[in-house]
Amino acid sequence: MNNSIRFLRQFVLIALLGTIFVAFTMSMNELQTLYNDFGQQYFFEEGLSDTGSRNLVTAILLDYRLFDSLFEAGILLIAVSGVIWISKHDIEEKNARFMIDKYKTPDLFITFSRLVYPLMLTFGFYVIVNGHLSPGGGFQGGTIVATAILILYYIDPNKETNIGLIVTVEKIIYLLIIVVASISLVTRGTFFTNFFDPSHDADTMAIYLVILNVLIGFKVALGLWTIFTAFLKEGR
Amino acid sequence: MNQLAVVLVFLPVIVSIVIYLSKWRHMNIVAIASQLALTIVAVVYFTHFYGDFESTHIVLGGWDSRIGISLANDELSMSFIFLSLFSWWMVLIYTFRFGHTEHSFLFFLIFLQGVFLGLLQSNDLFNVFVFLELATIIVTILIAYNKKGESFRSALYYLIVNVPAMLVFLTGIILVYFTFGSINIVALTEQFQDVDDTIILRFSYVLMMAGISVKAALFPVFTWLPKAHGVAQSAISALLSGLIVKAGVYLFFRMNFLYEGAGFAYSDFFFMVGVLTAISGVMFALSQKELKQILAFHTISQVGIIMMGVSSADSDMFYGGILHTFNHALFKSLLFLGAGVIIQVYRTKKVGEIRGVFKTMPVVSIFMIVGMLSITGAPFFNGFISKSIIKYGLAEQGWRYWALYVINIGTATSFIKMSQIFFGPKTLSYPLKNMAQNVAMMALAFGCVLLGNFYIPFSEGFFGIRVEEFDLTSFDVLLDYGITVAIGLVFYFTVIARDLKPVRMIRESRISFENANLVFLIYIVALTTYFVFLS
Repeated sequence: MNNSIRFLRQFVLIALLGTIFVAFTMSMNELQTLYNDFGQQYFFEEGLSDTGSRNLVTAILLDYRLFDSLFEAGILLIAVSGVIWISKHDIEEKNARFMIDKYKTPDLFITFSRLVYPLMLTFGFYVIVNGHLSPGGGFQGGTIVATAILILYYIDPNKETNIGLIVTVEKIIYLLIIVVASISLVTRGTFFTNFFDPSHDADTMAIYLVILNVLIGFKVALGLWTIFTAFLKEGR
Repeated sequence: MNQLAVVLVFLPVIVSIVIYLSKWRHMNIVAIASQLALTIVAVVYFTHFYGDFESTHIVLGGWDSRIGISLANDELSMSFIFLSLFSWWMVLIYTFRFGHTEHSFLFFLIFLQGVFLGLLQSNDLFNVFVFLELATIIVTILIAYNKKGESFRSALYYLIVNVPAMLVFLTGIILVYFTFGSINIVALTEQFQDVDDTIILRFSYVLMMAGISVKAALFPVFTWLPKAHGVAQSAISALLSGLIVKAGVYLFFRMNFLYEGAGFAYSDFFFMVGVLTAISGVMFALSQKELKQILAFHTISQVGIIMMGVSSADSDMFYGGILHTFNHALFKSLLFLGAGVIIQVYRTKKVGEIRGVFKTMPVVSIFMIVGMLSITGAPFFNGFISKSIIKYGLAEQGWRYWALYVINIGTATSFIKMSQIFFGPKTLSYPLKNMAQNVAMMALAFGCVLLGNFYIPFSEGFFGIRVEEFDLTSFDVLLDYGITVAIGLVFYFTVIARDLKPVRMIRESRISFENANLVFLIYIVALTTYFVFLS
């Protein structure tokens, strides 16, 4: 009885997904004639001269659609505060040191972690700072830096982390990001774009991109650092 | 001047972060001050652009409007902005004492306001998605805020039901972007005027509507709402039921304004969905025994009534639906806040165990009774106005009229059941100790009565709707309400009070997460069949 119900469920599920797939394929077939590449062409032709960024993803993230990016960083901000609030009963408790079981972590792994740690950190910073030239940027580089910091916990299991401080710095950096993004109101009369107008050459305009990428990179790294510290403490 | 739209979004965000970082004990005063500043900004903005909402359209960064993100306001979004400001005022006042110590509570609450105001003003589909996503996460945290097992379960359920819906909505946006190369709503509205009726357009409509339906808690996909709204703190429940659910309804308006240009006939389908939503909401509400569960299910039924109204695109019913959105925000917040005080004093949620509220808390009882009269549609209260407009629109449409009638009887029955908490002797002593809560409820009750009697200037000033053609003061309407309540009383004593077997079965029915997902897929397929295959 139970089996036949399960079979029926699976059958229904496949039928439903199949129907949606058929509709999706039908609309995708139409796309060959309907596809409108206005946006794509625009970014391709104007991206560099408008924003000074050779990486078009950064151009969109930090200039054309900066308003979105502010709130995408906001999602991380909220997630961090939410994890802190939900996982903990007392923030003081979290500042206490936590331990990764030393005896279960192989020595080889620890040794290699020591070697890899500075490389990862450097690579993360490279990705952040060169976000406007090559693939990367604040969000991606911040994640790499956070991973490097995670490795730090293997190197020194007795490491103490002051979560309250990290969270404070993270929030302040978020405020700074909003401030930097809003400077253009003074210089160009509109919110959320480069504070140099497009008549400057690409290298000058890149100053703004680097500042914003570094801020976002730090914010993301600190945010992820908080989240996994909270999880490590919780999982112990 | 039109850059003030950005201030409306970022003032709450910045203030909330300052509150989070501060250690000062009286941050709730800062919250109130920022709310005051925000209200002033909104009023200045509104009076400046009143009558000329075309010029509110700004592109952030000054790019081509098809490339950058733009914000725009019209009558609808402005009225929603004032509704949200009012709702946040009420919640901030209601939780004034609680907010003394809870900095993170104020942080999430006020951040959510910035996000919600952004959602209302946004003129860019992907931006709408980002705000919706952010709002979903904050609401999850607020539901789980008191960190009990039940609230964690409900919050996670809310999150994992809503996230697939958001992804489906995002897929719809991607299809629109592929077809038009732009996701600016104003630009799209023009492009939609001269577009061929294609499958990709219809499928994108289906995907967007599927996502929005989950947000608005429509018929088969409302399972998250009673869980979430039933267990959250009362102030949060009031905010969620009164306002946040309306985000879905608001996007429903927006998307349908957009797709109307392409000649979509959606009204029959969504009228049916509205009827089913309302009837199932009432059915579940009748079977419940907990105060807040009853109110949560009535949110579903009222959203159903709103959908019945707004599904008809350009008749008077549409405005009835919009007005009901506002009226529902007032009376449902009032009922939730009142229920919160009662639960706080009696320390139980069971309707059967609470007695003698009127003798114990006469003031709170009067506010609750105002809310109940409004939700059941009593003349001279606000629920009556909007329900009557919808009723007039349906007057000559056979079963549709009677469906609304049945829903009204169900609502009346349910609140007859709830009103038993007022009777009985005084059981507890309740010193009037929290003035802030009473002030918030008084403002809401006052709003209910005010809109119930002076609805003509309000609806004209905000929406430009003329409603005086409806005869809403004759003896007939009183008689009509009397009949509804009388049938409700009979129904209550014959079926509900005896707790017959079908009632128990409805109460005990549970839907698992897997089945909820299956239902969501069935809903998408139903939409696809109706709008893509059968058209």
